[in-house]
Amino acid sequence: MAAPDNNTPNDDYEPVEGLDQQTVACVRACESEAAAKTASDYEHIVWAYGVIWSLFAIYGVFLWRRASRQAVEIADLQQRLSS
Amino acid sequence: MKKILPLAFLGAAALIFPVSVKTIFLDTPIEKQMGTVQKIFYFHVPLAWIMMLLAVVCGVAAGIQLRRDSKRAEAISIAAAELVLVTGLGVLITGPIWGHATWGKPWTWDARQVSTGLLWLVFAAYVLVRHYGAAGSERLAAGLAIFGAIDVPVIYYAVKVWKTTHPSNDVAGSLPSSMWAALWPALIALLLTSLALLIIRVRQELTDVTLDEAWIALDDAGAQPAPVSGDA
Amino acid sequence: MVALRQAWLLAVNDLRQEARDLELVLTSTFFSLVVLIMLGMSFSALGISAQPLAVPGMLWLSVAFVGALTLGRIFTREREFDTLRALLVAPVERVSIYLAKAFVTIVILLGCCLITVLGLTLLFPAAQPFAERPLETFALVLMGCTAYAGVGTLFAAGLASSSGKNVLLSVILYPLTMPSLLFALVATRSLLEGHESFLTYLGQLTATNVIAFVVGAWLFEPVLVGVPQQRRGAARAARRRR
Repeated sequence: MAAPDNNTPNDDYEPVEGLDQQTVACVRACESEAAAKTASDYEHIVWAYGVIWSLFAIYGVFLWRRASRQAVEIADLQQRLSS
Repeated sequence: MKKILPLAFLGAAALIFPVSVKTIFLDTPIEKQMGTVQKIFYFHVPLAWIMMLLAVVCGVAAGIQLRRDSKRAEAISIAAAELVLVTGLGVLITGPIWGHATWGKPWTWDARQVSTGLLWLVFAAYVLVRHYGAAGSERLAAGLAIFGAIDVPVIYYAVKVWKTTHPSNDVAGSLPSSMWAALWPALIALLLTSLALLIIRVRQELTDVTLDEAWIALDDAGAQPAPVSGDA
Repeated sequence: MVALRQAWLLAVNDLRQEARDLELVLTSTFFSLVVLIMLGMSFSALGISAQPLAVPGMLWLSVAFVGALTLGRIFTREREFDTLRALLVAPVERVSIYLAKAFVTIVILLGCCLITVLGLTLLFPAAQPFAERPLETFALVLMGCTAYAGVGTLFAAGLASSSGKNVLLSVILYPLTMPSLLFALVATRSLLEGHESFLTYLGQLTATNVIAFVVGAWLFEPVLVGVPQQRRGAARAARRRR
């Protein structure tokens, strides 16, 4: 079987236009850079939101502990007054 | 009714928060220059506003405390100062996280960052004076809070006085309407959470004052000799 | 006018007492000298291009440290002999006590700044503009020290009257005076670099002075006068120990 002749039109093959190696490499590089930036951005977002709600939660725990201490004191005071 | 108010605020905040997250991440377009990380903005900026609001509340309450010797105003002042520390810490941490992702430098020593840090330090000093100060330092701390509240406009105008790398005040004003829409739910969620914690802390402080007075009364009652029988 | 006259009399009295043993003046100026030497040794290798950035910080850090030391001791006599209460019940305007103490603090700080500015001019070539433009330098130093004294006098008095711990003075003073020192820093750098905005920055520093003095004078009486909650404080301390 003879090899296809480049000078004669061949219906099985269509010329691929506009996507040379250099363009493809460039596009892939941009995509990976964008993906890396998006991943990094989401990491920063998670950290930032986590920090905000953690601070509120920690302060909430601090208030809860304070309230527990006050409840103990009130009970102690009531006991002293009744005795 | 009054007792459930903080719980109602927290409940409302818990309901609004998922709405806010949905609005920020699904309904709001990605900002062209900064990309996805700009979404930190929707919590960072309201937190900064709440911090400044609480600083002013602390200063005003301290003024009322000085003028009228009001225990309630004193309690509000203390609670607001502690929440300035909490929200301020949030602003000072999320700002550099945003800065690191956007400009590659977490801390750029620009005027807005420095002024926010200073405001935080002033109210940290207030909390330290309240905690470790001798009797009589309550009024001194109140004076400190008033100075701190006056420092708040310095933060606002610092951006106008110096050239900074921080986004200017005009950023919020020039957002498209879809981005404004994402700011309000976040602001409301954070504000309701802060108010709930403020109310709880105020109540605890007032309880502390009552406990102090009760111990003093108990002390006085214990010191007085029992009446001799026959006296009447 | 009465308040100013009373302030002047109180200030002159304080300065006259200080002139007897020079304790505060000598110790503060010696401390300035020590700080200057430490800064000189720390930054002697600084290149000429970096010096205009560093020298303003050295000057105002020095003022901050000396100022805290001075303010901690400006009420020493009143604290030791418990005469602040006597001063408060005396027939003088309360604000004149504040102005008098602030004035004495400014005088002492200016003396310390003289040493610091001269020393920096000798140690760092970039500080030559201090010598070349003495009037501007004096105005800058005066405004900076005034802002510092305006804020600090109020809190030094408050701690003196409440038998407060001196460490709290530093805790209060540094954050509150930093905005004024920041303006002073920027103004000093513009002076050293020959920037045309120097007068603008000096004006802003003057504005912070006005705010500091107005707020300080307004708060002086409410902060100092009133019944200290001694028993409540003792009860709170006892509860914490339990």
